[in-house]
Amino acid sequence: MALIEARTPLAIGTGEPARSNPSGVFARPTTAQTGWKSWLTSVDHKKVGIMYGIGALFFFFVGGFEALLIRAQLAQPGSRLLSADVYNQVYTMHGVTMVFFFVMPMAAAFINYLLPLQIGARDVAFPRLNAFSFWCWLGAAIFFNSSWFLGGGADGGWFAYPPNTSVTYSPGHGMDFYVFGLAIAGISSLVSSINLIVTVINLRAPGMTWFKVPVFTWMALVTQFLLAFSLPVITVALFLLGFDRNFGSQFFDAAHGGDPLLWQHLFWIFGHPEVYIIILPSFGIISEIIPVFSRKPIFGYPFMVFSGIAIAFMGFGVWAHHMFASGMGPMSVMAFSLATMFIAVPTGVKVLNWVATLYGGKLSFKAPMVWAVGTVAMFTIGGLSGITHSIAPVDYQHTDTYHIVGHFHYVIFGGGVLGLFAGAYFWWPKVFGWMLGDRMGKVHFAFTLIGLNMTFGAMHILGLQGMARRYFTYSDYQGFGFWNLIASIGAFAMGFGALLFAANVWLSYRKHKANPVELGPDPWDARSLEWMVPSPTPEYNFSEIPEIAELDEFWHRKYGHDEDHRAVRIAATEDVAQKPGATGIHLPSPSYWPIVLAAGLPLLAYGVMFHKERYSGEYTAWAIGVGLLGVIVIVAAIFGWVMEPSTDPEADGGHHDHDHDPADPSAAALEAPAEAEESGTAELAEGEPVAALAGSGAQASATSNEETTGE
Amino acid sequence: MSVTPRSRTRPAVTRIIAGLMLAALLAAGAGCAAIRDDEGRPLNSLSPKGPSAQEIDDYIVQVFGVAGIIFVLVEGGILFMAWRFRHRKDDDGTMPVQTHGNFGLEIGWTIAPAVILAVLAVGSVRTIWDLEERDADALTVEVIGQQWWWEFRYDLDEDGTPDIITANQMVVPAGRMIDLDLKSNDVIHSFWIPELNGKKDAVPGRTNNWRLEADEPGLYQGTCTEFCGLSHAYMRAEVKALSPADWEQWLEDQQEPAEVPAAGTLAAEGYAEFQTLCASCHQVNGFDPDADPQETDGVPSPDYRAGNVPLAAGNAPNLTHLMSRNRFAGNLFPLYAENGEGELVPNESDLGDWLRNPVQKKPMAPDQRRGMPNLNLTQEQIDALVAYLVTLQ
Repeated sequence: MALIEARTPLAIGTGEPARSNPSGVFARPTTAQTGWKSWLTSVDHKKVGIMYGIGALFFFFVGGFEALLIRAQLAQPGSRLLSADVYNQVYTMHGVTMVFFFVMPMAAAFINYLLPLQIGARDVAFPRLNAFSFWCWLGAAIFFNSSWFLGGGADGGWFAYPPNTSVTYSPGHGMDFYVFGLAIAGISSLVSSINLIVTVINLRAPGMTWFKVPVFTWMALVTQFLLAFSLPVITVALFLLGFDRNFGSQFFDAAHGGDPLLWQHLFWIFGHPEVYIIILPSFGIISEIIPVFSRKPIFGYPFMVFSGIAIAFMGFGVWAHHMFASGMGPMSVMAFSLATMFIAVPTGVKVLNWVATLYGGKLSFKAPMVWAVGTVAMFTIGGLSGITHSIAPVDYQHTDTYHIVGHFHYVIFGGGVLGLFAGAYFWWPKVFGWMLGDRMGKVHFAFTLIGLNMTFGAMHILGLQGMARRYFTYSDYQGFGFWNLIASIGAFAMGFGALLFAANVWLSYRKHKANPVELGPDPWDARSLEWMVPSPTPEYNFSEIPEIAELDEFWHRKYGHDEDHRAVRIAATEDVAQKPGATGIHLPSPSYWPIVLAAGLPLLAYGVMFHKERYSGEYTAWAIGVGLLGVIVIVAAIFGWVMEPSTDPEADGGHHDHDHDPADPSAAALEAPAEAEESGTAELAEGEPVAALAGSGAQASATSNEETTGE
Repeated sequence: MSVTPRSRTRPAVTRIIAGLMLAALLAAGAGCAAIRDDEGRPLNSLSPKGPSAQEIDDYIVQVFGVAGIIFVLVEGGILFMAWRFRHRKDDDGTMPVQTHGNFGLEIGWTIAPAVILAVLAVGSVRTIWDLEERDADALTVEVIGQQWWWEFRYDLDEDGTPDIITANQMVVPAGRMIDLDLKSNDVIHSFWIPELNGKKDAVPGRTNNWRLEADEPGLYQGTCTEFCGLSHAYMRAEVKALSPADWEQWLEDQQEPAEVPAAGTLAAEGYAEFQTLCASCHQVNGFDPDADPQETDGVPSPDYRAGNVPLAAGNAPNLTHLMSRNRFAGNLFPLYAENGEGELVPNESDLGDWLRNPVQKKPMAPDQRRGMPNLNLTQEQIDALVAYLVTLQ
């Protein structure tokens, strides 16, 4: 498809023809695009969310494979399965991949898909920027993992302490892949954070005041603030390390007046908020699931909101608890130890509120609820072990041992990942229009739960027995053999569980295809707005933006109270939920530029990384060429982005439906394929009237919610 | 308005759950006792053998105790709620009371954990500052980390130059505080002897002060605990605490220069090989290849070869009294082994294997000037060198 096309002129209000490409620049992709190509240019938050999910799940298996290599190596003393050099790469890549290319994007998948729905909006504030965030992230993920094929993976640990990661001690390119890969990934998340903050502030449905926003959206919003304030710090750190490694600067070189501890401070000022970035979305997910399956609201909604905000604030004040043994002096050690201890207070408030939500409820242990309650239980273990090493003198023994590895895997995996799986089982029907197998979901949970306790419980013991971290092997006489073997068996159990999830997806899909069942909008009898729309969600989200009167608005349209304050049904779901098949809704147009701009960044990074031989000083022509190409692509993409028409002219010309009255159901049936038949494949059908001039139909009510800003 | 018949089953299951919680507590207690056993676990952090480690340990017990109790209460609570309020098949179909919250509970369970933490914090702060105390009669030892071994320097007369330079095994008097000055010659390392104290990083460009003390004479194992590259797992250390008499003897022995082997012996051949092949990095007190004459007094040179050592870290282990230690190559391989008659004799086999191909025995990067290279020695050279090395008592 040519990027520059001759077009029929736009018809505008005065009747005067307008040029469809006013500055002679590129037109938008037409909405006639279907199939997989439409995903490359889509700016629909739901498609972006699904793509994040698929990408993250892929890297879950990559990082998981790396984990199994580690555990296979450490199952026995003196193993030579992996050399020290390869092991150092594997454990570094495992950490970076799991944090930046699995957990964070998987949380982004949920947030991208659900946040606009939960606030009653049609999309995010800046849809092209949203698509850009995804493609930029994917570019970073591919770029970073390409290191395996281009000289070796990063090998300095995910924390990358210099001088060990300086060019003297890490002369290969692995750590350059780390520097540039994380910088690009950081751009993705930073841009997304601004987008989502503006979305929540500006695009809430009418009547949705702050304390009617669902807990998941609140936690997602707090996460975006954490990202916005912490990512710049690591970006600076990465620039400093990148310059030290490639351009001869000496920021971390003590012999020339630099300080290795500078890196540690900068890294952890990002790194500690990062762990709250990881966990808060999962906290939000289970705060949605537990009330639904307890049949009562979340206990202490205001406290859940405030404790999330408190965790975020306090999370910026505890970073140096990663540095208790670094020699920063007893005053700093004391201050950070005290701060770290007290961050347990808001976290504990959350745990107790979830338990109190269970109290007095009618608990239905479907798969999402099993996973959600498991999340609370496993996070509690990790949190308590965290308290033990928030106390600095105890941490002098624990730090850099497997006790810490056990702790953070309980909170990240037991807390974060279990929560994400809970969300997958819960929201799957909304996204795809069919359910994941419930029984298999519980078997998946069982293997995961048993495996994680074997592995990370054993690690707590190993750490206390003196096994240090980041060791490629250990000796027989050190006495670590037994618990390492247990840990390795547990890891393979978790791996098997992950395969069960993939099998569940496949088998459930096959079952759905063989025997499609119309799920309806609300299979779980849930509380928040996303359950008010058909499953799978129509492209336009809401046929009519709802007016919000209270928290859990959808629930309160279905249920009232009796005199004992028990819920009683006041309306059938079908009467309250929105119907499919709406037409005449203006949506943001697709665009080529997000994916093009995202492609330019890794090209530039390859160019910078390989432009000069490190020791001979010779310039490498091809790399300089690639880098320059990257610059050209970036500049051209920005130019195209800014200059492209704000909407797709084809959409109006081809699907202009001034003639049809959206209130006329027969006309709607003629024009629109029934949205409900889109069973999970999400293709735009030919001729679908997605966009129309504003002013046609009932959707032209003067609310700012429909129109997305920035387009 | 109670609708669920529960009076018959609830006491029994409540008792079961309470029983499980008690069993968990007892199991945890038994586990805690077992975990203190350092039999076969030389790096056990829960078997303190010195006052610093003991002070940390006393505090660990309190902290883990509190955490354990909270664990049992919260997890038990979750299990109880999950069982007690599960949706029963004989349910009457009413919805539960739609409780939104309880302000008093929220305040209560915000303040109570804060108070518990505040109480724990008192002990934490006290311990942090206690560990900063140094005795006036402490022995100062400089601990220098480099890829991938530990060097120890003793400046006994405090004149600014070390009197003893040794490696891998730090020998100290028992019952006396050791004041450690931790340094690094290359990347960040961390020095940890779990039975004697927590760990402290060795950071290039600064000196981190720490302390150790062993109550009784004995051997205490340790390891590097900050990722430092290829052989981070093989950068081990050992503290050997001696009685006062043994300590005085050790000091005297260490300050003797190495004996030059008698001419015509295999050891003399090895000494000749050493001077050409090994002395460019390894110091044996009494010989310096750059000095004129090459034979010097027996005092170790703190800047051996004044920076001409072909290693990024600028140093290799001082071998003057190699055989007085237990292990070599970063405290990795034993220097003594049992022979056929059960006697401890020098481990010539491991020494020979090391010389034959050090990089294969311990991952290093000698082509980047980090670690010992493979010198492609012939078997005769190896035999001679080993014969010389075992004379370095």
